[in-house]
Amino acid sequence: MVEQAEYKIKLPTFEGPFDLLFHLIKKAEVDIWQVSIADITEQYLAYLQSMKELNLEIASEFLVMAATLLRLKSKLLLPRSPKFQEQDEEEELFEINTAEELFQRLEEYRAFKKAALHLRQKEEEQKKVFLRSTGGQKIMVFTQQESVYTIWEGAHHLSEIMQRFAKIAAQREYVPAFSAVEDFVIARKADYIYAVLRQKRRSVPMKDFVIESSLWEVIITFIALLEMSRQRKVNLLQDRPFEPILVSLIEKQPELFQPEEGESGERTAKESY
Amino acid sequence: MEKEQQKRAIEALLFLSEEPVKTDKVAAALSTTSVEAEKMIEELQEELSAQGRGLQIFEAAGGYQMGTRPDLSSFLEKAFSEEVSSNLSTAALEVLAIVAYKQPVTRIEIESIRGVRSQHVLDNLLKRKLIKISGRKEGPGRPLLYVTTADFLKYFGLKDLGELPELEVENEGAE
Repeated sequence: MVEQAEYKIKLPTFEGPFDLLFHLIKKAEVDIWQVSIADITEQYLAYLQSMKELNLEIASEFLVMAATLLRLKSKLLLPRSPKFQEQDEEEELFEINTAEELFQRLEEYRAFKKAALHLRQKEEEQKKVFLRSTGGQKIMVFTQQESVYTIWEGAHHLSEIMQRFAKIAAQREYVPAFSAVEDFVIARKADYIYAVLRQKRRSVPMKDFVIESSLWEVIITFIALLEMSRQRKVNLLQDRPFEPILVSLIEKQPELFQPEEGESGERTAKESY
Repeated sequence: MEKEQQKRAIEALLFLSEEPVKTDKVAAALSTTSVEAEKMIEELQEELSAQGRGLQIFEAAGGYQMGTRPDLSSFLEKAFSEEVSSNLSTAALEVLAIVAYKQPVTRIEIESIRGVRSQHVLDNLLKRKLIKISGRKEGPGRPLLYVTTADFLKYFGLKDLGELPELEVENEGAE
């Protein structure tokens, strides 16, 4: 038996215990309702055995089913004590207590398997029909600055940016993206951006706020700018994707945000502690 | 607008759309009735097939859509090879079949039919927008309920769920 592992046996893969049982029944060329529990249990265990010999990982569902089959088999072999019957049935993955229940479940599974096969056919048919994909070129997105991007461009550039970040991140040591100090760091960055903008009194490209030029800092700066833009404190301008992002101060609108001006960043930072 | 002109407009409209178009949308664009619009779409459908053209109009997800004829797929695959997406896995199709026939359905119900844990497959199908969460089932744990989407119909080229063949369950015992 041990030597069997030397041979290259290719085992079909199954979607689960029902799939395997179904396969065994088909191989035996019997109707689901005519299956001998003893036979099927033996074959099922033999299959698990060969999986074990091939050092394949056996999913827990397969083992639970093996236990279920063995219990069904033992029930058929042993005389039943009417007193204890059905008393020790616990709730379990399959909840199968009689051979009939097993057959019924297999039958139900078979029906859905057939339905899945039908879907596969429809999928194949539909794969042959090519649909128009304009990539959204007809749908324009007008931003506030009235620059025109197509949706396709936006999505395309976003995915490019994500890929770039992923590449850079992969090259670097892992830095946890979210930590308790995050709010604090962003608030400090926002204060810094604010101070620079006030001093220069003109628009400043985003990269000027990044001092150490680490990926981490770029992200912090970007998030700080988004937050400030959301609070209507700064205007962000970009002509085209990948062009510099220009940051400019929004002139004061007294009643709107004077009260929290300047302090808001620090306040949020303190609150989060 | 005269009728021929309207039909040309419908052809152009269907050509441009990436999604199935409902007849009432066509009707609104042409300021005509849905019945009229549907009649013209069907006429166009027949004209395209009678003339043996490379395009066809078919029903999908409750609307009409223009696409290529299936027999041309081998040519098109050569030209657009990078855009051909992979098929769904067997597990995904099993779960989809169960959701399609039993919806709204919970994860536990799906797993008890398949005999296999299926959370991962469900997550992937949600991501592909072939299924969606429709709400929660009343009862212990209030589990999430899953249903199929319009994208599901579109993906399989189905007009509606009624187009699926009936589930064949041989009922020896009681269902």
